Amino acid sequence: MELTINGVQHHIDVEPDTPLLWVLRDDLKMTGTKYGCGLAQCGACTVLINGNAARSCVTPVGELGSAAITTIEAIEQDEIGQRVVAAWIRHQVPQCGYCQSGQVMAATSLLKQTPHPTDDDIRAVMVNLCRCGTYNAISAAIHDLAGDVGQEGAKK
Amino acid sequence: MTNRLKKIFAVVIPASTVLAGGTAWFVTRLPASSFENTGSQGEPSAQLMARGEYVSRLTDCVACHSVPGGAAYTGGLKMVTPMGAIFATNITPDRETGIGAYTLADFDRALRSGVAKDGHRLYPAMPYPSYAKLSDDDVKALYAYFMKGVPAVHLENRKSTIPWPLNMRWPLAFWNVVFAPSDVYRPDTSKDAQWNRGAYLVEGAGHCGACHTPRGLAFNEKGTDRHSAAFVSGALIDGWFAPSLRNDANTGLGRWSEDDVFRFLKTGRNDHAVVFGSMTEAFNNSTQFFSDDDLRAVAHYLKSLPGNAQRDGTPWQYEPTQAKALQPAGRQGIPGAQTYMAKCSFCHGADGRGQWEWVPPLAGAASSLVPDSSSSINVTLNGSGRVVAAGVPDSYRMPSYREQLSDRDIADVLTFVRSSWGNRGASVTAAEVKTLRKKTRPADSGVVVLKIN
Repeated sequence: MELTINGVQHHIDVEPDTPLLWVLRDDLKMTGTKYGCGLAQCGACTVLINGNAARSCVTPVGELGSAAITTIEAIEQDEIGQRVVAAWIRHQVPQCGYCQSGQVMAATSLLKQTPHPTDDDIRAVMVNLCRCGTYNAISAAIHDLAGDVGQEGAKK
Repeated sequence: MTNRLKKIFAVVIPASTVLAGGTAWFVTRLPASSFENTGSQGEPSAQLMARGEYVSRLTDCVACHSVPGGAAYTGGLKMVTPMGAIFATNITPDRETGIGAYTLADFDRALRSGVAKDGHRLYPAMPYPSYAKLSDDDVKALYAYFMKGVPAVHLENRKSTIPWPLNMRWPLAFWNVVFAPSDVYRPDTSKDAQWNRGAYLVEGAGHCGACHTPRGLAFNEKGTDRHSAAFVSGALIDGWFAPSLRNDANTGLGRWSEDDVFRFLKTGRNDHAVVFGSMTEAFNNSTQFFSDDDLRAVAHYLKSLPGNAQRDGTPWQYEPTQAKALQPAGRQGIPGAQTYMAKCSFCHGADGRGQWEWVPPLAGAASSLVPDSSSSINVTLNGSGRVVAAGVPDSYRMPSYREQLSDRDIADVLTFVRSSWGNRGASVTAAEVKTLRKKTRPADSGVVVLKIN
């Protein structure tokens, strides 16, 4: 079957119920997306499918068709994604870093849909787990971005 | 003593004696078997053994007569009744502790009449009221398989904890007269052969009614065949609500095609549902091993059973009502909505429609529409067991939320699910969750799938 990942078409030969995460990591060797729990509970495997955050460990590839899949490897090719990564560096968000590719994807998805998220919005959407407890830094980085992205949006 | 009294005693005493004697004879007698004087069966043919093995898949004996970690068919499964616990027995051909000393007629009486070799009546936890419909040929084949195909294991049966006098078995003879059919399946000549095969499998060998038919006060299934509207109309059993298998639009198979039913029983999943709860075991060890023809027959027969339109009301239709409510700003005011998005939506979808046959929809699911919320609560607390189709374990499984979510969290999220997307199941209370939390345990991922040969 064909999958469009980061704008590139890949031909893969797997069973239709194979989780997207296995295809990314095992078949395509794109190991930036992490395996955490395998049960959609932690969010380490978050990718974007047509701009929406999805947990690749519970996404069967069989029915994805021509959906646009974006992973952490290409997130800086996205305007908002690039800003998110910059803010993550600015705020020194990661500690061990294992969950952070998923956090960045979730934050990008949030800002695409809600350019000026409130505290409540951030709490509602940023539900990925972080065992280092970087939640405050994540929240601060997103607040920073909310202003940033908002201003960019106003200029256009 | 007056003459009058003497006369009364002269009548009452012999009459009582006759009555008591008759009762004693009736409750201890061995019921008739078609195999009374057939003697030793000799060495069964390979063909008969193969058929017996197949019948054992249809009848799913292993479901109750095995426990995880134990040898196949050595029994031990605990079944809790309001009077106490009973345990399934060793049915390997061990002569002392199993059924090795059973003749074909003894085996037949246990299987189809619920009477053990020593004459004691089995509890109807053993589905002999359904097995009564088995054909002589299938009984013979099953006997050959159990005697020669199953390894003998010496393991004593566990004693029931039901106290005296409730543990007396003889009154079951009367129960049997009232509630247990005693005749083999008789084909309905107005229907085709496929339909009749399906009826034989559903009403008889497959004993679907044991879980899916509601039971009366005497634990009797309220209907044992197609002539009763209660037959496989849905029932609560062991903390799960086994849904209707009739053409009920909301709580049964009304929106399923014959092919949907076939795929569900063959692969454990279809676009409407994935097996969970007690059905996981029935799929893992039984239905997936049915021949395609037999599964098609089951589907054909089930789709002929009329639903109860009055009970189900208007057929469910998808309503995209929650889309706006689930936006980050909207979901904060709705109890359960945030939990749904954080814990459930990544698999079941923000639209509640699941992911094709891999993750079941909650929108329009029988468990979301049936008034009894036990299955919704149980699967959320405990997750689902592993589904092993054709030797391959499933890729996606419902995790247990017992440790993560409180009774209130679960009540709220399920109330949200059961009232979204056109669903209209009853709301769930924290008290209901609390009760089931105490009574149930997390699903085991190490399921037993019996390998034959």
